[in-house]
Amino acid sequence: MTVLTSIIAQTFEPRLFQTPMLWDQWYLLLLPLCIGIAVVYKSIKCNAMSRVPREALQLFVTIIVVMVVAAVALGALVRFLERS
Amino acid sequence: MASRPEITIPPPIVALASWVVPGAGYLLIRQWARGLTIGITILTLFIGGLLVGGVRVVDAPVLAGIETARDVVTQKPWFIGQILAGPISIASAYIAHNANIPLSHGRANEIGTLYTAIAGMLNLLAIIDSAYRAGHMEPKR
Repeated sequence: MTVLTSIIAQTFEPRLFQTPMLWDQWYLLLLPLCIGIAVVYKSIKCNAMSRVPREALQLFVTIIVVMVVAAVALGALVRFLERS
Repeated sequence: MASRPEITIPPPIVALASWVVPGAGYLLIRQWARGLTIGITILTLFIGGLLVGGVRVVDAPVLAGIETARDVVTQKPWFIGQILAGPISIASAYIAHNANIPLSHGRANEIGTLYTAIAGMLNLLAIIDSAYRAGHMEPKR
């Protein structure tokens, strides 16, 4: 049991983030998360599973667009407050 | 010839199965595509969170010294979301508590925690929906 615990723990050591590229581009990790949210939500919502890929893609794009717009708006607000 | 009676599975059993293995509740009510899609996605998000932030992002509250249920919630609020992903979160918390591995910090810890907690909260939606569908299935004629 101890050996198994040790093997699993080493597998999930936080080494993936040691690469500087991934550290600088951390926000790209939100993309798979948004895909997962869109797929699960639309799988629950749609009665016909054949509609899920299209609707999940639409939801994914909507989430990304809204997040980018929110980021730009908040960035502009911060710059405006810094100047005033 | 008399047809076999349709077996209906009680919604609480479907809900429990959905918690134990994400997506399994849909499989019990024979919604294979939905069950596999939701189960694989939720488990991928949870394991992805562990890969990004390490197994120690699943951090169970320490029960010693806790007096009320509110203390459990306020001590480790993310664990409430994580435990909804099923026994995999309890196993992860056990490994995190017993294994001697480094704790991630900063973005890695934040994103790993976010992935695992959102996987659990999505599983809560799946638990509720699968139990609802099990209770509203039309009997086959």
